[in-house]
Amino acid sequence: MSAGSGSSRNYTSGRGGGKGRGGGLGVGSSAEAYAPEIMPLSLCDFPGEPAIVIFFSGCNYRCGYCQNWKIREQDRSHLTRIDRIERLLEGGKLINACKVTGGEPLLQPEALMRIAKKAKSLGYKFGIDTNGTLPERLRGMLPMLDLVSIDVKTALNDFEYRKVTGVDNPMVDRVIESIRIALASSAFVDLRMVVIPGVNDSLEVVRSIGLDLNSMGYGEKASAGGASFTLVEFVPENAGSREYSMMRNPSVEELARLARAAPLRNVRISHRALGYCVSVEKIQL
Amino acid sequence: MTEVIINGKLPPPVRRSDGVIVPFNKDLIVKSLLKETQLVKELYNERPLTEEEARVIADEVQDEILGMRLKMLSGPLIREIVNVKLLEHGFAKQRNVYTRVGMPLYEVYKIDNSDGYESRENANLQPNPETFHKKKADFLSKESYLLMIPSHIADAHLRGDIHLHDLEYWGTRPFCQDWDLRYFFYYGLMPDGTGTHTSVAGPAKHAEVAILHAAKVLGAAQTNFAGGQGFFNFTVFMAPYLKDFDAKRLHQTAQMFLYEMTQLYVARGGQPVFSSIQIESGVPKVWQDAPVVSHGKKWPDLRYGDLEDTVHAFAVALLEEYLKGDAMGKMFNFPKPEVVQRARYWDDKEFEDVMLRAAELSAKFGSTYYDNMIPAYRGGEDGVSCFQCCAYSFSEDGKSENFQKKVMFEDGAHFSMGGMQVVTVNLPRVAYKSGGDEARLLEVLKSTMDIAKEALMLKKATIKRQFERGLIPFASQRPRGAPPAVDIDNLSLTIGFVGMNELVQHMTGYEIHEDPSAQKLALKVLIEMDKIRKSYSEETGEKFSIARTPAESAAQRFAVADLIHYPKFARDLVKGDLEKGLSLLNETKDVPVYYSNGAHVNVAAQLPLDQRLLIEQRFFPILKGGDIFHVWLGEANPDPEALMKLNMRLAKQSWVGYWSHTKDITVCRDCGYVGGGLNSSCPTCGSTSVRNYSRITGYYQDVSSWNAAKRQELKDRYRVRLS
Repeated sequence: MSAGSGSSRNYTSGRGGGKGRGGGLGVGSSAEAYAPEIMPLSLCDFPGEPAIVIFFSGCNYRCGYCQNWKIREQDRSHLTRIDRIERLLEGGKLINACKVTGGEPLLQPEALMRIAKKAKSLGYKFGIDTNGTLPERLRGMLPMLDLVSIDVKTALNDFEYRKVTGVDNPMVDRVIESIRIALASSAFVDLRMVVIPGVNDSLEVVRSIGLDLNSMGYGEKASAGGASFTLVEFVPENAGSREYSMMRNPSVEELARLARAAPLRNVRISHRALGYCVSVEKIQL
Repeated sequence: MTEVIINGKLPPPVRRSDGVIVPFNKDLIVKSLLKETQLVKELYNERPLTEEEARVIADEVQDEILGMRLKMLSGPLIREIVNVKLLEHGFAKQRNVYTRVGMPLYEVYKIDNSDGYESRENANLQPNPETFHKKKADFLSKESYLLMIPSHIADAHLRGDIHLHDLEYWGTRPFCQDWDLRYFFYYGLMPDGTGTHTSVAGPAKHAEVAILHAAKVLGAAQTNFAGGQGFFNFTVFMAPYLKDFDAKRLHQTAQMFLYEMTQLYVARGGQPVFSSIQIESGVPKVWQDAPVVSHGKKWPDLRYGDLEDTVHAFAVALLEEYLKGDAMGKMFNFPKPEVVQRARYWDDKEFEDVMLRAAELSAKFGSTYYDNMIPAYRGGEDGVSCFQCCAYSFSEDGKSENFQKKVMFEDGAHFSMGGMQVVTVNLPRVAYKSGGDEARLLEVLKSTMDIAKEALMLKKATIKRQFERGLIPFASQRPRGAPPAVDIDNLSLTIGFVGMNELVQHMTGYEIHEDPSAQKLALKVLIEMDKIRKSYSEETGEKFSIARTPAESAAQRFAVADLIHYPKFARDLVKGDLEKGLSLLNETKDVPVYYSNGAHVNVAAQLPLDQRLLIEQRFFPILKGGDIFHVWLGEANPDPEALMKLNMRLAKQSWVGYWSHTKDITVCRDCGYVGGGLNSSCPTCGSTSVRNYSRITGYYQDVSSWNAAKRQELKDRYRVRLS
């Protein structure tokens, strides 16, 4: 799940209970999910739609900038009954869409599928945020997905990825596979990169990402209005690690410079100073 | 005059407040007592002092002075001694009118240093020389009106049963007004209302002049009114001046107006005019066939319906200029843009650009207000209606007297919507007094509202007299024999209320959002209030209304008053930081405690927006829209399209008549950064010279100028983002 202008909140524990196992990456039981928080209405997580956002806990990356770091580990206190989530979906009066974020939602495929089915049966659009490390599970979810939002942490190679994700084996080949699968689907694909000054903000990084994405079919899909590449402001105040919280955020100008350098169509920028996510063509500096 | 020597002693000379030193003369006391106590007849219909009584008092005062061994006397000192003697003789009312009003020198000193008396009562007032002057005048004014109105009303205000809003203007100004621009486009502009002290302009012939006139109308109007000034149907009435303009000139004209309204920094002690404009995307049905009034004439063959494209383009231009912000990139907090919601604007895709710009403006700055005409209680497409200031709704339905004449501008007939005065009822207090008994609750409610009604009727009589004497000249102006600009009898007498949530909490043990029984009681109380309101209207022929009050200071004042007078109950119910509030209470009344406003759910309630909507929307029809639904945005970057879809749902599927999205903003004074969130240092340059802005009740202002209760409320607000 991305940082910056996306979802963030203070997690409180105490909901749920139940018999889940602590630690590790559990998949929940068929009746429960590791879902510590539900945001009944968000206006920034699903492009163009007011949405309910469900947070799944547990992640296989350890990104230092992550703003949802508190739910990186699963805890039995996170367990929430899925029928409770279903009731919330049924009761939604102001929403058009449902998004599951995290954490990494695809770590709990059964719970994710149940929620997706419920959301679709109620006529909502459905989407997920993913880090792309679970391409087969993504493939399995595709029929349900109107939106796939995949994190592009940095240039798509293990060397660069290792620096950002904090794990020895970042499985970039799998991320690339996920992007390919998503771009070939009918879902809208938003590829999001949180820009961290000094870490992944070089012109080389965005140029290499641009070339890679275009080789995977991004260009055609974006031309048809089916994909976007979004540069997201890194927000140090929300970062999980001390090292990252001492860093600075990028300026609008820096994001715009990177956006223009990326050989990609439909590039957008999300920065607090802009007020909302806008396409780079609209920015006058 | 000879020197008076009594028993061999000489009273000291008197330093009078008019700047001369004279020998003491007790006859002057008699004379002033006879003259000044005449006022008790006028104000309270009681008798003045007789000459004999005055002589007895004066003799006693002289004896008192001789016993004091003073070297110098002053007029105010003698007056205080006379006051004591009046009280000793049981002449309390006579003492009321004989007393001086004013403030301790210490307080004056503090005011000049931007501290002390009500330095945060109104966040729109910033420290500057005009403001300090106004504060002193306000103090004197408020104190004197509390003496001049009947004492049971003054006591009810001071005890905190009710709140008389804008008390400093009690005897001089009505509350607010939404103006009909056609009047000025037909008759021209006299800022002083008479044409003797200012130049008189003929009707505008050019767009730039029309815009300047519009700005000056609101500026001039503010000198006659205590509260908000606005234009209903702004984009429609401006359209005749703009019909041949290309986009660039429309933007230029729109920009000019926004700067005029935020830079005319001259109203009421150095603040911008509290202004609003109603932005229609097209021409409402009522106006389609109405003749255009502009350039000093009524056009024989031009109807507003013919100008729809211009109205539409001007609405877009205005919103785009709001979106740009000022040269620093900071929002325009005035005039408040009230974007009208009609079924047609949502169903016809042509108007989507306006709805999207409005949503973008909400997403970026939170500035947009949504004025929803769709719910049936707003009068549908056949009436004229506006929101004003902080969400009081005023309307005239198509069936009202002379409605058609006003639409057609026959003999200068025009709309004049607004409020005369607001008096707010402290609802938690009503609950405390009821002893928890529901029947008793309604009785106490009625008796409290009766005092509010009496106060409102008194205000109306006072202001009407001022109006008829030409002492509210901009409002009463009659250029070239036109009907008066303001229809003084059409102004609403509004009874506001604070703390419905705490009332039901006291009665049922639950807050409004916690239990259906609490909501049921809230509705019952509101319906009862509306019944009482109706009986007042029928009995007096006046336009009474009930509404959620902005209560920028009243929500705090009532909570503080109840902590003093009803501590046992209030300690359990007031919101905010009780501990801190209690510890500060002996030093200041600006403490971080408050009651929930109107019938709003506790701002801190952990309640999804749709749940809160289901509760709060039910109050709108009873209040005929006199309410506001707040969406506290938590996200720094809301998606405008998502926000627009949320707006569509609120417009078409709820009963909410008026809402806004509040986005907290940080502005850096060093690098000019403007962004979402309340940051204590600049996210871009790290400077700590930042200002935080948020919506206080019905307008945006710098948080540092808010009172302690409102700053606490800002902390407590439960935002959409967080679950």
